[in-house]
Amino acid sequence: MSDILNIGASGVRAYQSAISTVSDNIANSGVEGYSKRSTVLAEVSSAGGTTSRQNVTSASGVIATGVARAGDAFREANVRTATSDLGASDSAVQWLDQIQTALTGNQLPDQLTGFFNAANAVAADPSASAARTTMLDGAQSVADAFSATGQALDTVATNLDATAQDSVTTFNGLAAALAKINDGLSRNVSGTTGSAQLLDQRDQLLEQMSAIATVSVTTDDVGRATVRVGNASGSVVVQNNTAGSLSYARGSDGAVSYAVHFGGDISSAAIGGGALAGIADGAQRLADAQSRLGQVAASFVDGVNTVQAAGADLDGNAGQPMFAIGDTPTDISVALSSGRGIAAAAPGAGALDNSNLLSLGALRTSGDYEGQVTQLVTDSASALSARQQVADAQAAIQDNAIADRDSVSGVSLDNEAVDLLKFQQAYSASSRVIQAARDIFQSILDIR
Amino acid sequence: MQISTNQFYATSSTLMSQLSAQADTLQTQISTGKKLQDPSDDPVAYQQLQLLTRQTADDTTYQANISTAQSLLSQSDSTLSSVVSQIQRAQELAVQANSDTVSDDQRQAIATELRSIVGTLAGLANATNAQGKPLFGGSQGTAPVTQNADGSVTINATGSATSIPVGQSQTVVAGDSASDVFGGIDNGSGTSDLFSILNSFADAMEAGGDSPTSAAADAGDALANALTHVSDVQASVGAREKRLTLMSSTMTDTAATRETQRSSLEDTDITQAVTDLQKTMTILQATQASFTKLSSLSLFDYLK
Repeated sequence: MSDILNIGASGVRAYQSAISTVSDNIANSGVEGYSKRSTVLAEVSSAGGTTSRQNVTSASGVIATGVARAGDAFREANVRTATSDLGASDSAVQWLDQIQTALTGNQLPDQLTGFFNAANAVAADPSASAARTTMLDGAQSVADAFSATGQALDTVATNLDATAQDSVTTFNGLAAALAKINDGLSRNVSGTTGSAQLLDQRDQLLEQMSAIATVSVTTDDVGRATVRVGNASGSVVVQNNTAGSLSYARGSDGAVSYAVHFGGDISSAAIGGGALAGIADGAQRLADAQSRLGQVAASFVDGVNTVQAAGADLDGNAGQPMFAIGDTPTDISVALSSGRGIAAAAPGAGALDNSNLLSLGALRTSGDYEGQVTQLVTDSASALSARQQVADAQAAIQDNAIADRDSVSGVSLDNEAVDLLKFQQAYSASSRVIQAARDIFQSILDIR
Repeated sequence: MQISTNQFYATSSTLMSQLSAQADTLQTQISTGKKLQDPSDDPVAYQQLQLLTRQTADDTTYQANISTAQSLLSQSDSTLSSVVSQIQRAQELAVQANSDTVSDDQRQAIATELRSIVGTLAGLANATNAQGKPLFGGSQGTAPVTQNADGSVTINATGSATSIPVGQSQTVVAGDSASDVFGGIDNGSGTSDLFSILNSFADAMEAGGDSPTSAAADAGDALANALTHVSDVQASVGAREKRLTLMSSTMTDTAATRETQRSSLEDTDITQAVTDLQKTMTILQATQASFTKLSSLSLFDYLK
């Protein structure tokens, strides 16, 4: 008789915890990184634990042996790979877009065209002061456009450094948090709600890390993650409860390098993907744009000043340099104070001569400064356009990877509703069993 | 395969934001009239557009230079016409003087008129253009000729006049120096200038004496040469004006072609864009409607 009571009681207990797990799933259905859990139910074998006897006529009920977590390590790894790939492209797109804005924002090719056209207008009437003033204004606009474009690129470089530093700091924070999770996992019994919570957090941290840098992950039997930066042969950054850190540096040539610091060892890290790889890509483009712009600026200033030196100004004096270069090649200023200083004439040819300005026209053709700046913008734009397309494709891949993972580990409210119904009925039925046991016992007591 | 509730909302939200972004892009294309917003939208088109923009800016300056050159040349042209009529008047005087019946008084009168022609021509040679600069100044900005106290005229201006850039590596010399216009007249044994021809003719008339008729005949020949010389200069000015007119009209045609090219690269095809926008909106509305229906479906609604 007590068997029946015990069986009923075990059912009530087991289904109560099953319903509580379902409720947990429903309550957390909107929580990021939550994996569906289920209560593992098992039959309790009869007393003595031996089921080999021939005539077993009674069982001993049901027991909730633990909480199972619907996680899939391979699907998680796929999501991480897709996230790293997308992170690299997204971040590269962001930086290339900023470079493009910096290069086009000041209309440098248009200002150069304006300057050379103003020179042509002076050539039509070399003695007119209005045309000369306009040309000097044009020179000022070119100088401003070069300086502003150079500064805009410098600003992008500053932002890039700051963002890289932030990302590295975030990554290190995530690594430290993961080491704590590892520590927790080693002290928690697996198959409990507590360990399921820690594993959820572990996978979420790993996903966040993979958005910043490619990580290669292995887990041991209690779920502790060992994380390497880059591929499986990369340097270890998290092992058991020890976390290392990542550092960022940008050399004078603009190239970015990363290093892993772990337990006193420092090793250079090959970042395969993630935002940090996009930053490295952006930094390389940025350095290229800065150096090419600097070359155009230097060659332009040198060319114009050489033409100036070969001519005579409106007062018949030898031409003085029109532009001066400051600290950086793009830091250009106008050195002439008056339009009279423009050396339009060949030396000794007179005020109405413009043959030296025609050399400026020849310089425009041979130097092709406008073409070079346009080419610089086009190269950067082509790279951006290509990466945008790749990023679109990778976003779709990541969406698929997430859908694939969630099809296993996500919570579907409809499924939970079915489970809830099922366990609720089982609970009711178990309580009826208790009642039946009581009734049977009562009927024995009722014997008079 | 199960669709997790979270995933259902995330996917719907992604799809709807993609459609909204698409509609926004089309809306921008329609309202700005440009289908290219950034170089990265179409790098090749960007490069072509930059070239077209540059050519348009260049041509604007070249057109202005052509106008300047045309105005200078037409001023030269009309001044040279006056020079020609002065030479023709001197020729009439040469014919008149080439007769034995002309008295000394009449020769004196002819000499006086010739001196006044020299003065007029010196004035014409120093004529200034609309910008106040000498028309026949060559490369110098100073007065092209100076009339001395004794009536003789010195030609100062030499060198080539300003050659104005009027196209990609094309220039037009928008004027001639006084030494080219009034000097360099072929007299058989060398060259002389118009002022000395007229002054020596006047000197011969004033001197009177034995052979005024032969001096008048020589002057007639020299003036004929001078007329040919100045007419040649004038013809050259006319030819340059004509070339500029031709260049200007070519430039206008090129500009029209370029505009067509630019428009095909850069402008939004409004019909296409509006149709696309309509399509996107329809899909977005349908997505919103189906999302509302699907999200209101829950088994919990039926559990009572």
